[in-house]
Amino acid sequence: MRSGSEPLLSVEGVSYSYLERYCALEDVSFEVARGERLALLGANGCGKSTLLKILAGLIFPDRGSYAAFGEQVNEEKLEDEQFSNGFRSRVGFVFQNADAQVFSPTAREEIAFGPLQLGLDGDEIEARIEDVTAMLEIGDLAERAPYQLSAGQKKRVAIASVLVMNPELLLFDEPTAGLDPRTRHWLLELMVELGRAGKTIVFASHDLAELEWIADRCLVLSEDHRRLGDAAPAEILADRDLLLQANLVHEHTHRHGSLVHGHGHERGHHG
Amino acid sequence: MIRNASTPSWLLESETGAFPYSCSGRRRRGGAVEKTLNGLAKVVRQALLSEELAARNGLLQRLDARAKLPGVLALLIAVGLVRHIPVLLGLYALTLVLAAASRIGLCWFVKRVWLFIPLFTGVVVAPAMFSFVTPGEIVLPLGHWFGHEVGLTRQGLTSAGLIISRVATSISLVLLLTLTTSWPRLLSALRALLVPRLLVLVLGMAYRYLFVLLDAVSEMVTARKARTVAGGKDGRGARAVAGFSGGALFGKAHSLSEEIHQAMLARGYRGEARTLERLGFRVADTAWLAACLLLAVVTVGGDRALGI
Repeated sequence: MRSGSEPLLSVEGVSYSYLERYCALEDVSFEVARGERLALLGANGCGKSTLLKILAGLIFPDRGSYAAFGEQVNEEKLEDEQFSNGFRSRVGFVFQNADAQVFSPTAREEIAFGPLQLGLDGDEIEARIEDVTAMLEIGDLAERAPYQLSAGQKKRVAIASVLVMNPELLLFDEPTAGLDPRTRHWLLELMVELGRAGKTIVFASHDLAELEWIADRCLVLSEDHRRLGDAAPAEILADRDLLLQANLVHEHTHRHGSLVHGHGHERGHHG
Repeated sequence: MIRNASTPSWLLESETGAFPYSCSGRRRRGGAVEKTLNGLAKVVRQALLSEELAARNGLLQRLDARAKLPGVLALLIAVGLVRHIPVLLGLYALTLVLAAASRIGLCWFVKRVWLFIPLFTGVVVAPAMFSFVTPGEIVLPLGHWFGHEVGLTRQGLTSAGLIISRVATSISLVLLLTLTTSWPRLLSALRALLVPRLLVLVLGMAYRYLFVLLDAVSEMVTARKARTVAGGKDGRGARAVAGFSGGALFGKAHSLSEEIHQAMLARGYRGEARTLERLGFRVADTAWLAACLLLAVVTVGGDRALGI
């Protein structure tokens, strides 16, 4: 965490199990400073998405506590209308599966959904939709139905539907999964730009290639759902044992500067 | 992840001789898999066609759905109340004019309407034409049964003609509405008619996710087709696969619904749906609505004046 700044998010000893049986997180603690870009790293199934859902106040820890913007976040508090509106307007969550997020009949209605629920004025909503669709270059898709959109376009609509609420904290679950290289690069650039604008960003990933570019700090989760490491990207990427332990690289992977790559067992040259 | 398990030796050898790689001349007919795939493709094609028709620059496409829907509803009520075939035929002719003005191919439109008639209405009205259901003046004798003359009666034929022309006109009106209005606009029209927002939201989402689930079914069926080597006619096996696929689809739909709910909560949804309303009634919309209401009243009034 950035030294000397008040933490925006504070996660203390959080554990979570699905159906009270399948452990997803075990005693995880960390803090996130205002304006920080934190990458949650870990292999598939280590609990990254679960942690993001806890940060978004969609599920609640079995043990431990979570505070955001200086207030404890729990089920009871989120039942309070004012607190819920305050929290939801400050936290934006971009789901991995854009199909789950884009549920309205048209892209325009999808983007309007969040501001409408928060009671924003109609003209203000229209103006914001115009701005955000222009920024994300989806103005011509606004009247289209989701099934007429490609995966990349759906992702843009999902991001627009979150950005239109202008949240302070942005949570991205595997933001680049399944995107073509051009859309992927576009999205990473957007995340960098939003970070520069002072947004706090927490994103889940197991992609190490662009880490130093888009993250200030990395939190590594182990396959037994615990916190394995918490440091700057360069430090994490240099710690080969930690990456091996987290199952983020295999033993035939190595780095060339910021580039992490691997080669097969039988080949003596770079794969 | 480091692979610790070893690869079985048979996987490292090439599979030879399982099936000869040449034609035998025996053709395999497409089974349930092909039918399912074709059916799914048809649904998507239909949706795309409707969207394409709704985007054309025709008379009805230019009208606001909030004017179009009540206008069509008024005409539908009139069609339900009219008791004279010529009046109904007049209204049917009007639907054809509207279809042409809305740039819908007339042949295609007529075919689409009359495809339903023998299938649904024909079965229901056919018995009513016979003297043993509707007694009256026999115009087409068919023989004798227990000493009574059996045949088609004038009254029966008139009733059947009335029902068929009523159904054809109603279907034409509904088709005109749905073909010239995109689904989102139709939903906004429902909202304007004071249909509860939650119901409209559920309808919108049901239609939206129909395509996601269609995709899932299509992928499952295609994956099965890709791995079907020897095509047998094992009905039980096919039913079991259909059962598994149904179960898997249900599981997918359930987890998707959970995620959708979370996505809604994350953006401030608290059980009361608020939706985008964009008002913009133009003169043409008001004129259409007034014309439909007037026509409905005049038609029903004129029909009553003609007597029974």
